Amino acid sequence: MPPTKKRSRRRALRRILGGARRRLLRAAGRIRSVWRRSLQLQVVTSTLVISVIVVVVLGTFLFGEINRSVVSSSQQVANSDAFADRLQIADALSPETDDPAKSAESGKKGTGTLLDEVMEAITGSGENGSGKRYEVLVLNLTTPGQSRASGRVVPANVPTQLRLNLQRSIRDSKWDKPVGTIQRIRFPGDARATLTYVVGGVVHLNTFDQNYEVYHFFPFDEEEELLLNVRLAIVVVGLGLVLLLAAIAYLVARQVVTPVRLARQAAERLASGKLDERLKVRGEDDLARLANSFNEMAANLALKIHQLEELSQVQRQFVSDVSHELRTPLTTVRMAADLLYDAREDFEPMAARSAELMQAQLERFESMLADLLEISRYDAGAATLDLDSVDLRDVVLRAIGDSEALAERHSTRFELRLPNEPCMAEVDNRRVERILRNLLFNAIEHGEGRDIVVTLAADRDAVAVAVRDHGIGLKAGEDTMVFDRFWRADPSRARTIGGTGLGLAISREDATLHGGWLQAWGQPGEGSQFRLTLPRTAGADLKGSPLSLVPPEIEMRRTWRTAMTPVLLPASGDGAGHDDD
Amino acid sequence: MTMTSATGAKPPAVGGFRLRRPAVARSRVRRPAVGRSRVRRLATAAAIAAAVVLGGSGCTVIAPGGPFTVNDEGGGDPLTKPFQRMIAIGPQRSWGPEETIRGLQAAMAAYPDDPTVMKAYLTPEAWSKWNAEGPVTVIENAYDVVVPPLDETSETVTKVSIKGRWVARINEDDSYTPTAGEWDREFELLKNPQGGGYRVSALPPGLVLTDADVQRAYRPTNLYYLNRTLPDTPVVDRVRLRLKTTETFAQTVLERLLQPPTEALRGAVTTSFPSGTELRSISSGEDRVVIDLSGPLDLRDLSTEAALRAQIRYSLNQNEVANGRIIEIQVNGESYSIDRPNSEDTWLEEGGDTAYYIHRGALHYLGKDGPVGAVAGAAGEPREGYGDFAVSRGGTPLVAAKTSTGISVVGIAQDATWQEVIKGSELTAPSWHLDGSLWTYDTGRSALLRYDPGSGREAEVILSPKLDGLDVTRLRIARDGVRVAVITGENTVQIGALTGEGTRRTLGNLQMLTTTAVGDKIIDIAWRDDEHLLVLVKGKAGQLLNEINVGDGETTGVPLQDRLESMAALEDRVLAEVKTADGGVKIIELSQDQQTWTPRLESNGGTPLFPLG
Repeated sequence: MPPTKKRSRRRALRRILGGARRRLLRAAGRIRSVWRRSLQLQVVTSTLVISVIVVVVLGTFLFGEINRSVVSSSQQVANSDAFADRLQIADALSPETDDPAKSAESGKKGTGTLLDEVMEAITGSGENGSGKRYEVLVLNLTTPGQSRASGRVVPANVPTQLRLNLQRSIRDSKWDKPVGTIQRIRFPGDARATLTYVVGGVVHLNTFDQNYEVYHFFPFDEEEELLLNVRLAIVVVGLGLVLLLAAIAYLVARQVVTPVRLARQAAERLASGKLDERLKVRGEDDLARLANSFNEMAANLALKIHQLEELSQVQRQFVSDVSHELRTPLTTVRMAADLLYDAREDFEPMAARSAELMQAQLERFESMLADLLEISRYDAGAATLDLDSVDLRDVVLRAIGDSEALAERHSTRFELRLPNEPCMAEVDNRRVERILRNLLFNAIEHGEGRDIVVTLAADRDAVAVAVRDHGIGLKAGEDTMVFDRFWRADPSRARTIGGTGLGLAISREDATLHGGWLQAWGQPGEGSQFRLTLPRTAGADLKGSPLSLVPPEIEMRRTWRTAMTPVLLPASGDGAGHDDD
Repeated sequence: MTMTSATGAKPPAVGGFRLRRPAVARSRVRRPAVGRSRVRRLATAAAIAAAVVLGGSGCTVIAPGGPFTVNDEGGGDPLTKPFQRMIAIGPQRSWGPEETIRGLQAAMAAYPDDPTVMKAYLTPEAWSKWNAEGPVTVIENAYDVVVPPLDETSETVTKVSIKGRWVARINEDDSYTPTAGEWDREFELLKNPQGGGYRVSALPPGLVLTDADVQRAYRPTNLYYLNRTLPDTPVVDRVRLRLKTTETFAQTVLERLLQPPTEALRGAVTTSFPSGTELRSISSGEDRVVIDLSGPLDLRDLSTEAALRAQIRYSLNQNEVANGRIIEIQVNGESYSIDRPNSEDTWLEEGGDTAYYIHRGALHYLGKDGPVGAVAGAAGEPREGYGDFAVSRGGTPLVAAKTSTGISVVGIAQDATWQEVIKGSELTAPSWHLDGSLWTYDTGRSALLRYDPGSGREAEVILSPKLDGLDVTRLRIARDGVRVAVITGENTVQIGALTGEGTRRTLGNLQMLTTTAVGDKIIDIAWRDDEHLLVLVKGKAGQLLNEINVGDGETTGVPLQDRLESMAALEDRVLAEVKTADGGVKIIELSQDQQTWTPRLESNGGTPLFPLG
């Protein structure tokens, strides 16, 4: 079917063009990226461009000057030769009235013979004459037998314009105005035309009132060859100069860029934590001073960081010590508080209420102390994993079970999306359960009573659990801050379920201890989603997650929005917007 | 803590660390010194560079230098000679009959270069009838055009004639034959019906050139062929070749060399080029001229290689082409032979330059500075009745002399004696041939006789039909062994050639070379070289000595101071016998400038002789 074929062909063509365009754009992007990243390339390219411009301008000027001087000097020599020859012809053909012998002789011989004699002298065609490098043509159009030529020149070789100019000079009686022209002329028997300077002049004989048109043909092929060689030399030298300048620019840029590059690499290594990274210092130049400054800066930075680390260590130790020290009195206080709480019914209502409050706050204090001790263990590097191969579906279900009471209190329901097959992974059961519990509590707290979706997925290398709530969501940048210790989205908002502010921080540490990820996504008004990804084998590197961080419905909505926007065409009755292909 | 100065004060201590400001301060103090020394070093380097550049080549465009070895760059032989040509212009409307005829003659001069102009002068009928082939007529430059009174209204034919002195004829075989007498031909002119002027309606066939046209467009050229009986001997043939714009002179020469010789040498010479040989190209490199031939030449057959080389070398060099160049001969592009300019060969050396003279019937050697002594044997002994001596070539030459009864021959050796080899009382003076034979003409029998001393037989008769009935008074064979100069009667010299071989050998191709006015007498002739014959004429006004080129009759007068009795010539040397005032004889020699004579032998000797010729 022709329309279908045509359409498919057009589609194929469009695909090819699209592919080519994409490749081009990719290549251009790569080039742009290389250009923007390489100072050396920029310096060399700039030098190359500037030197090419300079060399072209200078070469053109130089060649013009040489050309002018060579051609003009050759023309001068040619003009003077032509003038001398015309004088000789005029002298030979003019009868000298004061020399009767010569006059009688010339009368006897006739001007034809005189012309022969003078032509012999001019062209070197006499017995002992030597050839000249130019040819001569003498034309007398009014007297028979008074035209001569040397070599192979024929009257048709005279350029028409030159001849017309000369004849106009004759008509205007301007006999002393020779004319010249440079043209390519092909002489009879020649395979190719030769660049020739033709000079035309008039020899006027007053006595006979006759005009001889005298044309000189000077070959300029040697000059042409010379100038071609000069041009070639200029081009070669110019090219060499440009390349030399580029090489020099490359070397100079390299001298400057290499230390800068080393400094960048050192800075990068410094930034990645290698605080003992230093630059080698050679000489006393600016780069050496830069290296000195860099080294000083690195040393100061290392000192400061060391001081801060020490301070942090001291603080952590202090928290750990305080926590430990608080446990003993807290145990005593707890025992006393338990007694009071147990006997609250015997107290007055006010005292009973106080006992209940004290009991509640003591529980919170205890859990906070436990969290602090837990996080101190992480800080001290004392946390270890108790690995066991478990089906994560069971872990998820247990965590859900633990959270159900709280969910009920917040009128929140769980929506479970669990796979049918077991999701086995080597994990520390207790820690993972704690992570999930923290995530669920967090979701219940910020879910505003809406449904919480818990999804479990697995692939060959990893398992992932995503907890999605539809609460107030996270603002931009908060997706990383949520894992900070004691961070609170809205400080004015009270904790409703008695969190310590360390739950997500501990969860993240737990995930990291497994070699996994704990990540958060959120948008204001769209709720948030926390995704826990763990390797199936403890300690294996994660390459990806079986679940997307952004909830699928949000992702789909985004895709629709970007895909639909261009085709929102004005509606029309004939079905506009349909694909015509 | 106070700081009195940046350099003198102790560095301040901060927090237990000593700042490094003193080092900075020191470096601040030192830096100007470092800068100064660096500037000084840079300035020194720049000054040295500038000195090198300026001293080397910066100030001069071409640096003086040397001496150094230079390479010879000849640029190749041009293979041609500069020449000029007549440029003919078509008939003009303003021209009358005379201008039209002179224009026609100029068009004839330019005809081989450009035939179109000639066509413009002729009516279509005349153009279709006229033929440029045939001998070229050469007339004197100053010719007359005789035009009858014109009737302007008449449209009839106008008959115009050219009158002038007939100088020469250039034959179809390119030979140049001098002529004499008036030349008068008639041309018919018609008024041009289209726009005025005249057109030629009838004209004699062939080209009519003036002497100047010939000098301008032709070059006298020597071609070299080979002696038919002695193929090692080159024989010169003189032609007039027209210069062509489309080819080099060398090409023209060689192409003509591949053609047969002129009529004067037909049957008398051969060539080393097989029939059908053609010239493919001739080109000139840095040091050599490359000639590429094609045809039946066999690359493996080197029997004619030396002769072929010689023919080409002489035909080019003797015409001032490719002198001093290596000549490489190729056949169909493959190298056949290479001829170097200085290669030794015996070509063109026919005799030896020993001079002799006669004193009282005895043959004496004549050295450069005077007499050397008589030759050995009977020839060196005084003897009456012996005259018209002739000496053959070679290291041990034979001497021939005429007596009243015949011609006797003797060798130059101690015990040699005269032997009469040809009998006859009406024999001409003997003449030796290059092949060692002795020639004379018996006017009594009208027979040309040849005696070969090597054969031991009697003299044989050589055919000479053209001499039958003529009064042959002198016969001299040229040193090339081909040309023969014959004096017939008292005032005519004819040149013939020995044609054929063996029993069919003939003295033929006889052509008149020169003749004198009635009453004048040709006293003596002598071959100077292969192409120039000296002719001594005794006229009423005195003696004349002319050197005549036997190829084209070109005559050059040699000035005489004394009355010559006899003469002998060999290349540059011309010896003559002169009678002294006291009745004796002396020998004089023509100087190198060919203008004056200097005494060579003041007394006691006359009748100078050279071998052959």
